[in-house]
Amino acid sequence: MLKAVSKTDLPNLFDRIAAKYSLQVPMRLADGTRLLRPWQSGELSLDGAPLQQKPTSFFFPQTELLLTISAAGKIGMPTPEEKPLALFGLSRPDLAGIAFLDRFFSTQPADEHYLRRRCNALLIGLAGEVGPDGRWQSPAGKNCDFELIAIGNGFQAQAFSAAGEDWLSPYPAANPSALTEIQRNVETEEKRQTARLQQAARLLEQDLVPDRFWEEIASRCILCSGCNLVCPTCNCFGVQDRRRGKDVERSRVWDSCQFDAFMREASGHNPLGTEALRTRRRIHHKLVADPQRWGELGCVACGRCDRTCPTGIGIFALVEEMLNRYGGSLSAD
Amino acid sequence: MKATLTTCPYCGTGCNFYLQSDDRGRLLGVEPAGGHPVSRGQLCVKGWNAHAFVDHPDRLTVPLVRAGKELKPAAWEQALDLVHEQLHGIADRHGPDSLMFLSSAKVSNEENYLLMKLARAGYGTNNIDHCARLCHSSTVTGLVETLGSGAMTNSLSCFDETELVFVIGSNTTEQHPLIGSRILQAVRRGARLIVADSRKIRLAGHADLHLRQRNGTDVALLNGMMRQILEDGLEDRQFIAERTENFAALKQSLAPYTPEHAAAITGLEPGQIIAAARLFAGVDRAMIVYAMGITQHSHGVDNVRAVSNLALLTGNLGRPGTGVNPLRGQNNVQGACDMGALPDVYSGYQRVADPAARQKFSIAWGKALPESPGMMATHALEAAAAGKIRGMLILGENPMLSEANQGLVRRALEQLDFLAVIDIFRTETAELADVILPAACYAEKDGTFTSTERRVQLGRKAVDPPGAALADWQLICELLQRCGVKSDYADPAEIMAEIATLTPGYGGIGYARLENAGLQWPCPDHAHPGTPILHREQCTRGKGRFSPVDYRPSAELPDASYPLLLNTGRTNFHWHTGTMTRRSHLLDREERGAFVEIHPDDAKKLHISARQKVRISSRRGSIVAAAQLTERVPVGQVFIPFHFVEGAANALTNNALDPESGIPEFKVCAVRIEPC
Repeated sequence: MLKAVSKTDLPNLFDRIAAKYSLQVPMRLADGTRLLRPWQSGELSLDGAPLQQKPTSFFFPQTELLLTISAAGKIGMPTPEEKPLALFGLSRPDLAGIAFLDRFFSTQPADEHYLRRRCNALLIGLAGEVGPDGRWQSPAGKNCDFELIAIGNGFQAQAFSAAGEDWLSPYPAANPSALTEIQRNVETEEKRQTARLQQAARLLEQDLVPDRFWEEIASRCILCSGCNLVCPTCNCFGVQDRRRGKDVERSRVWDSCQFDAFMREASGHNPLGTEALRTRRRIHHKLVADPQRWGELGCVACGRCDRTCPTGIGIFALVEEMLNRYGGSLSAD
Repeated sequence: MKATLTTCPYCGTGCNFYLQSDDRGRLLGVEPAGGHPVSRGQLCVKGWNAHAFVDHPDRLTVPLVRAGKELKPAAWEQALDLVHEQLHGIADRHGPDSLMFLSSAKVSNEENYLLMKLARAGYGTNNIDHCARLCHSSTVTGLVETLGSGAMTNSLSCFDETELVFVIGSNTTEQHPLIGSRILQAVRRGARLIVADSRKIRLAGHADLHLRQRNGTDVALLNGMMRQILEDGLEDRQFIAERTENFAALKQSLAPYTPEHAAAITGLEPGQIIAAARLFAGVDRAMIVYAMGITQHSHGVDNVRAVSNLALLTGNLGRPGTGVNPLRGQNNVQGACDMGALPDVYSGYQRVADPAARQKFSIAWGKALPESPGMMATHALEAAAAGKIRGMLILGENPMLSEANQGLVRRALEQLDFLAVIDIFRTETAELADVILPAACYAEKDGTFTSTERRVQLGRKAVDPPGAALADWQLICELLQRCGVKSDYADPAEIMAEIATLTPGYGGIGYARLENAGLQWPCPDHAHPGTPILHREQCTRGKGRFSPVDYRPSAELPDASYPLLLNTGRTNFHWHTGTMTRRSHLLDREERGAFVEIHPDDAKKLHISARQKVRISSRRGSIVAAAQLTERVPVGQVFIPFHFVEGAANALTNNALDPESGIPEFKVCAVRIEPC
C-alpha cells in the first residue's frame, strides 16, 4: 500500500530506526561531496548529486579483515558490529548494485563476511525530486525494504518487505492517484541509457568492435583502477596476509582487472597482457559476460565510472564512442 | 565509520580524498573528494591506495637507540635527550656548521618551519635542506632569476583554457596522473600537444609532435626553437617590449642555433625543430609543463632558463592557459621550500644573508641567528664523507636510495659521529642511525601541505599513530624546548599563525580559511582571495629577464667502456624509495622488483631476453635487475626506476652537480649491461 510520509515525520522515523540500527543517511560534506554518514552526525542532505561512494562498500569495504591466526594456530574472527546497518538515500542504481552483489555473494559457496553485514541490514530507497536541482529520479520499486519518493513537500512511501511494512505502518495511506503520478514520471534519460548499453552489448556479441578501438581507448587510460573501485557490481578482491607481532592477519582488498598483475602468471606471462585487452575485458564483462551469467547487464547505470575516470573512458562514454563508430553495422536482430 | 577529508600524501598535484576508518580506528579505504577543484571525484592509482601502508606492521612504534650493532627500544625522554646532547655536543666541539639537518617534502608546512627554526635558532646553523635539492632546486634558482618566483606560474584549471601544452621532461600521466589526465582531456577538446621526451611516454602517443631529443640536450632544442621563432617573426613583440629585459642578449645568443646545429646536438631532424617552433608560437595561449627531465642535469638551471626564455619570448605568461609550469613531485615540496627548509632562506624566501630578514626572525624567535648561508644537501653528503659534517638529523628522507651515487652516501652517513633519523618505517637510511624516532604519518596528524599550484591545503588526522609514535611537529617541539627556544604550540594551527606573521606570501593563511579547497599563495592578508596566476601585471621581480644560455654537454656520456646512456626516474605504481608503495599490497604486486627498460635492438645485440636478470654497471657501482624489453626507450638508452633497494638505480647515477643549484645529474650517466 502506498503511504504518505511528511518531511516533518522523517526525524522521528530516523530516530526510531537509529535505535535499532546503525543508520547512515546522505550528507553534504565540506567540499560538496555527498556521502552516507551516521544519522545525527551532520545535516541531512536529501537532494543533489548522486552519492559519491557506492553504498555496496558498507557490506564489502575496500579493506576488510577476514581473520587472525595466532602463533598457536588459533583462528580469530573479527568482532561483529553492535548494530546492523540501515542505509537511507539509495537510488535505483544503488539498490540494483546491492541486489547484484547480494546474488553474487549468496551464490554457493556463500560469502559469510558479506552476508554477516547484509542479512540484517535495512535498505531504504530515495527517489523522486531528489536529483541535482530537484530533478526527477525514478523509483526502484524493488530491491529495498521500503522506498521514499519525494514529491512536493512530502514523500510517497512504498514497502517491499515485511520489515518495510512495519516501519511504514504508523503512516496514513496516500491518495492512490499518486502512484499513477509516479509511474507516469519515468525518467526517459535512464531508459535511453539502458537501451544504449544493450545496443553496445549487441555490438560486442556480434564482434563488431575491432582491436584498434580498444588500443586507442587503452592509450587514454592512466591505470588508476578507479572504474573498478567505484563500480557497485565489481566484486573482485585480492587477499593480503600481514604478520603483526606473533599473529597473522588475513584481509581482503578490492582488486582491479585493469592491473597487469590481476591475471599475471607466476612465469610472468599474462594472458591479458596488454592494456587494450584489459580495457576490452572490463567492458565485455559488464555487457556480455554478466548477461550470460546472470541474465542482466553488469552495469546498473549509476554513472560512477564515468565521473571518476580522469580521462573520460567510463562505460557510458565508451558505449557512445562504440555506437557512434560501429553502430551502423549492427544487425537488426 | 568515519570519513576524514584530507590531502593526498603522494605527488604535488594536491588531490583531496576522504579517508574511511572503522570504529576501531583502522583505515578501510579512500573515496575521492567529489567537490574538490583538483580531484573532482577522481584519483590516481596511488591515491586510491593511499590508506594501504598506514597500519602496516612494519611501522615504527617506539624510539630506538643504538647499542653496538643493534637498535634497542628506548623511552622518549631518553631518546630525545640523547639526540639533543649529541647534536649540542658536536656543535660545541666542532662548531654549529658541523651539523646538517635534512627536512622533508613529505611532512607539513608547520613541521618544515619548525625544523628550520630548530636548525637556525636551536643549534645555530643554516645547514638545512631537503629533497627539493634533488628535484626543483634548478627551478627555484632559474625562475627566481628570470621571473622573481620559483613557483608554478599558473593553475591546474588553466589546462581547461589552453590552446597548446608543451610537455618537456615530464611523464605527466604517471608522475602527476591527475594533471596528465587534464592534458589528455585538453587534447580531446582540441588543444595541441608537443611532447619532448626521449622515452615514448603515454602522452607522446597523443601528441601532434613527439620530439625524442637525446637526454641532456634540452638547451639546444629550446634555443633552436627560439631562433626559429625569431626567424619566422612569431615572437610577441609587445610583450617583449613592455614586460621583459635583456632581449638583445638573448637574440645574439641564439644566432648559432640554426635548425641544423640544434638537430646535430639533439639527434632530431631540423624539420622537427622548425615544426615545434611554429606550432608553439602559432597559438595565443600555450602552457609549458616540465619536471625532472629539465631539472636533474648538471646544467639544470640553464635548462630552466631556456624554458623561461621561451615563455617570455612568446608572451606566454601572466594569463590563463599559459605559463611556466614546473610540476612539483612531492605533496609538500613546494611548502618545504616556502617554509625555508633551504640553506639560504627563511620562510617566504627571505634571505638569511639579508640583515633585515635576519633581524626579523631573530626577534621573533628570541635567538641570535647565523649569518652565512648553509650547505646544500648534496654538498653536505660530500662534506660528511670528508669528515667536515659530523652530526646529522634526517626527517622523513631516505638518501640511501634517493641521492645520486649510493656508495658515497653510505660512506658519508657511516662516517658521521651521530645520526638521528625521524621516520615512519625503518628505512635503509634509518638502519645507519644512532637514534630512530618514530613519527606519525599523514593520516595521523593535522597540518598543511602546499601543492604544485601553490594551493595551501589541510591534511587532517583520521586515525591515531601506532604505538608511541608522535607527530613530527610534536617531537621537533621537544628538541626546540631542549634548546631553549619557544615551542609551546597547542596545535599546528598555532604554528601556522606564527608562520603567517613572518612570511608575507602566507600572511593571510589561517586554518579557518583553508576548510574548503585551501588558498593559493601569495595570500598576503586575511581579506586576500589567493592568487591563481602569478606575474599578471608584472613579474614578481618587475620585468621578466631573458637569461641567455649555451648548450653544455652532460658530465658523463656513453663511451666504449660504458656504451649505454642511463636514464632514471619513477613508475606509475611506486613512490620514490618504495617505503610506502612497496608496503601497499596492490601497488607492490603490480611491480615486484627492480627492472631495467632496454630497447629490443640493444637487447638482441647483448643476447638479453625478456625478464632475464642482467647486471648494469657504471663507474660508481653495479646492480642486478630484470630486463624489460620495450620500445619506450630509444636505442642506446636504458631506464631504471629508483624505487628498488635490491637494484638501486642510484648505486649507478652520477653525483655531478649543477654548479648553481647543486642538483645531481640523475638523467644522464654511462652504463654497460651484461646478462647475469
